[in-house]
Amino acid sequence: MKLELGFIKINDVQFSNECAVKDGILYVNPEDVKAFIYDNDDVKTYIKSITLDIAKPGESVRITPVKDVIEPRCKVAGPGGMFPGVISKVDTVGSGRTHVLKGAAIVTAGKIVGFQEGIIDMSGEGAKYTPFSKTLNLVMVAEPVEGTKQHDYERAVRFAGLRCATFVGALGKDVEPDEVKTFETYGIMEGAKLFPDLPRVGYVHMLQTQGLLHDTYVYGVDAKRIVSTLLYPTETMDGAILSGNCVSACDKNTTYHHLNNPVVAELFEQHGKTLNYVCNIITNENVYLADKQRGSDWSAKLAKLLDLDAVIVSEEGFGNPDADLIMNCVKQEKQGIKTVLITDEYAGCDGKSQSLADSDPLADAVVTAGNANMEVVLPPMDKVIGMLDYVDYCSGGHAGSLRPDGSIEAELQIITGATNEMGFNCMSAR
Amino acid sequence: MVKEIERVGIPVVHMCTITPISLTVGANRIIPTIAIPHPLGNPTLTAEDEYALRYKLVDAAIKAFSVEVDKQTVFEF
Repeated sequence: MKLELGFIKINDVQFSNECAVKDGILYVNPEDVKAFIYDNDDVKTYIKSITLDIAKPGESVRITPVKDVIEPRCKVAGPGGMFPGVISKVDTVGSGRTHVLKGAAIVTAGKIVGFQEGIIDMSGEGAKYTPFSKTLNLVMVAEPVEGTKQHDYERAVRFAGLRCATFVGALGKDVEPDEVKTFETYGIMEGAKLFPDLPRVGYVHMLQTQGLLHDTYVYGVDAKRIVSTLLYPTETMDGAILSGNCVSACDKNTTYHHLNNPVVAELFEQHGKTLNYVCNIITNENVYLADKQRGSDWSAKLAKLLDLDAVIVSEEGFGNPDADLIMNCVKQEKQGIKTVLITDEYAGCDGKSQSLADSDPLADAVVTAGNANMEVVLPPMDKVIGMLDYVDYCSGGHAGSLRPDGSIEAELQIITGATNEMGFNCMSAR
Repeated sequence: MVKEIERVGIPVVHMCTITPISLTVGANRIIPTIAIPHPLGNPTLTAEDEYALRYKLVDAAIKAFSVEVDKQTVFEF
């Protein structure tokens, strides 16, 4: 399967009377965006009001509580549309051509679950830890209709964010990209013939699916109801996987992360040179032991069926998913498939406690994305998009986290994307 | 907590859903339970059936105390 990504470099985002991408500037008419967002039954029913704002790198701006971040993209050739099964009709995506508004992001914010959303600071200490301090953010704050239940609110904001990204992404449809890159993986026999001497490598992509608003969707399917299965890597670039997660901000995979998965990017970088990138195996992280056993059994079975030599395994979240991570590792290793795991750590403020809830001697190649318990102090910001009401209650916060002067003392856990376990950040350790 | 209580000579039955973690941290008597958000219950059951389930789990835990173990043991029932 072959996909061309056309990158349109966005250097600025501005509110305007029109909606367009011209000379690297994204012009947005907030009323047009809102009208498109509201053309959905869930949004109409559960969202009282939507406020759009813009946050740019270097500004004294704090966005919280952040739910999701989405990159605006648009399919310009090939089957299907962005976010199949949710925004577009179900059709297999990942081939043809897709345009990307590179440098822009849609950030959705609102109280949703409150304690399980995060913070994005556009400048200061916090900006160092989130990749979304470096993007030009169109921020959508959604207020629920009074009495709306949390799961209805979450779904409505999820749809609203995806609709916002779809509308904005479509503005790049007829724009000539600054750069076009091609990504292609091959059928099993074809790939083996093309690269007979290269190791066959797959990516075991673990999806957060604990339920109670800790959910990920694949082609519109709630991923806690899937058994482990295969994806072409390029399918992820067209929105086959998206986040419905309200979990600790530092290590949840936002939809932006799924679209720009760095494991996929790096495997493609090495594809045909040092390895043969065969495919992705998606597997879930459920709350029943039998599901964990089944999920890891199937990911190991699929890897064996594909004659893989090695897999990279990335986790999402922490705690009981550490058990899924270790099961995925041990079952692969025991059938002779090498593994490298990517995770983060909850090793206490001093970094001296046990990092993961589970471990095994076979997990001997592990990349850490940082210690989520590390304490940070975030300076006050001139402007807040959203509300500060939940800072003390957010995962990583504590009573008194929000100081009277507007500064915040908290664990790194509170910052969106800070210890992302796909490795979409700059922290690690040796 | 399981290990510290056992260290002072009081036997412990660890009731938990993710038994592999319990094995990793060193519990000796382990009773598998229902699910992480509801280890000792099941909201899909009727109140009567759920009571029966809870009774069965606690009964199994109490019985586990009386079983001599010479290694880490997950009690299947």
